[in-house]
Amino acid sequence: MPDQMSLNPAFLDIKRASKSFGNDKALSKVLDGVDLTVAKGEFVSLLGPSGCGKTTLLRIVAGLLSADQGHVMLDGADISAKPPHHRDVGVVFQSYALFPHLTVAENVAFGLHAKGAAKSTIQPTVSKFLDLVYMSAFADRSVKALSGGQQQRVAVARALAVGPKLLLLDEPFSALDRKLRETMQIELKRLLRELGTTAIFVTHDQDEALIMSDRIAVMNRGVIEQLDTPDAIYRRPASAFALEFVGLSTRLRGKVSAVDGAGHLMIDTAFGTIRAVGNFLVGSDILVGVRPERMAFGALAGANTVHASVQDIVFQGSRIQAHFASGIDEPFLIETGGELPAGLAPGQQVPVSWAVADTLVYPAGSPA
Amino acid sequence: MSGLRFDRMIWLALPAVAYLAIVYALPLLWLLGRSVTGPDGFTIAQFTVFFSDPFSWRVIGNTLRIALWVTLVALLIGYPVAIAMARARGLMQVLLLVAMILPLSIGVVVKAFAWQIVLRRDGVISQGLVASGIWAEPQRLLFTEAGLILGATNVFLPFMILPIYSVVKLIDPRLTEAGATLGASPFYRFRKILLPLTLPGIVSGSAFVFSMSVSMFVIPSLLIGDRFQTLATLTGRSYLLMRNEALGSTTAVILLVIAVSIVVLSTWLSKRVGRSL
Repeated sequence: MPDQMSLNPAFLDIKRASKSFGNDKALSKVLDGVDLTVAKGEFVSLLGPSGCGKTTLLRIVAGLLSADQGHVMLDGADISAKPPHHRDVGVVFQSYALFPHLTVAENVAFGLHAKGAAKSTIQPTVSKFLDLVYMSAFADRSVKALSGGQQQRVAVARALAVGPKLLLLDEPFSALDRKLRETMQIELKRLLRELGTTAIFVTHDQDEALIMSDRIAVMNRGVIEQLDTPDAIYRRPASAFALEFVGLSTRLRGKVSAVDGAGHLMIDTAFGTIRAVGNFLVGSDILVGVRPERMAFGALAGANTVHASVQDIVFQGSRIQAHFASGIDEPFLIETGGELPAGLAPGQQVPVSWAVADTLVYPAGSPA
Repeated sequence: MSGLRFDRMIWLALPAVAYLAIVYALPLLWLLGRSVTGPDGFTIAQFTVFFSDPFSWRVIGNTLRIALWVTLVALLIGYPVAIAMARARGLMQVLLLVAMILPLSIGVVVKAFAWQIVLRRDGVISQGLVASGIWAEPQRLLFTEAGLILGATNVFLPFMILPIYSVVKLIDPRLTEAGATLGASPFYRFRKILLPLTLPGIVSGSAFVFSMSVSMFVIPSLLIGDRFQTLATLTGRSYLLMRNEALGSTTAVILLVIAVSIVVLSTWLSKRVGRSL
């Protein structure tokens, strides 16, 4: 489905959006010519560390910040020059930004009143959206008396009640505890799917992005490094940054020593020679990456096999991780849902293997 | 009495309490007593005499009218400044704060004399209005009510700005942004978000400025003169020029009643407003 969605005509089309803050425009570029298209009904996450420009991009789309360059097209119209109250773009803020002087119902009704909706339609609309977020019982409460999760629900209902063309969510779950966050993620995703709402979701939490998104835009230093489905980003990170930022990975540094008869790169690392598929010149510095659940204990013919010494065994319930001794910036770990080899203990030297096809290669020295 | 628990820290306030009792509360009690004492003991004759004189009502009217105008003008000028100050960043915020606080270090007499120059027929205001074509010929603002309101507003403006500023500072700027993304125009955002949330600041700022304007003495003395009397200037005249303690204590008590009711009313108002927010 997501692949077909991305072929649909763009509902939201961001073209070459750039933004700098401060006096030295060259040094303080927060967004550097970002392109992004989102199809109608799609849920796209902007995922990246703080300072990567994801919130800036969100604010530009909402009209709360003007871009230095670039355009924002929504539903066929250029909204770049429109003020936020004429954009039909709803926002759920990180702090929720509920109006403290109004009740829950008044908060949800705010946008309807502001847009001059017919009086007779306001009450039913408010009830409908409070129902959708399970907050009907709290309609007449002050928002100050609500818990974080309840406030978040009201903020979502308030943003959706005016029927925005696009909903933007700025880290809406960051203030919630882990258990509540997981419930809310599933609830929100279901709600948006039922309403057919197009949404952009800003987060620095990769798990959240993987769980909720149709597509994820991995952002770093003001550019989108990869825009793809969660599955594709996890399996085939397009850059060393995407590999490191999304999910766990085993990472080794090495140098291409030769290309074998089958066209495989031969990469010399501290753990011996590793084969991989890729296009690099002999002598190139390489970062090798492997997802830990693609690795297995024991030697395997035709696969990459190295010997490493066990450092830690981490029990995580449904999964077990084994960490191996390695360089400082080079995590080396296996993750398995099954059994560890009998008698495995820290300090042991064991063979570890993974398929050549699962070996990811990136130019080394790229941003870490 | 068992419910009343004294924090021992309360003794730290003792010197100030003793000081105020001696130099403020006792004279005030004496003043109150004087206002209801005649040659034959207790009497309210001084009040009935005062209130039966049309001149007295003109004085009360002058006092309240000027104070209302000063409060209104200070609110209209001060409110936007308070918002700008609370939302400004870095150097701009520092500059605005300094621009507001620095003039407080200049004595009120100096400011009033400066306003005398500004308000003259050949002062900057008159010249500016003539140059811009609003006035056909130079006019004197000194010794007019407009001049007094201008001068007093200038002196009391910081006391309007500061309470509003401190309230705005606590309001999440995201609130107005949220209003915008919900389709609210700038004016609607102001009316439905900013204004109700800043009401406590408006109430306390207005109470400050109003009570100071009601009781100001130096500014009207220098900017409008003796032909225009307020309760404060009349009180001063009664004691200093006319040696009429009966009249002076009467007007002083009326002034006190007005000031106290403003404080009580504004406290009640801001509590009420605060609860509904």
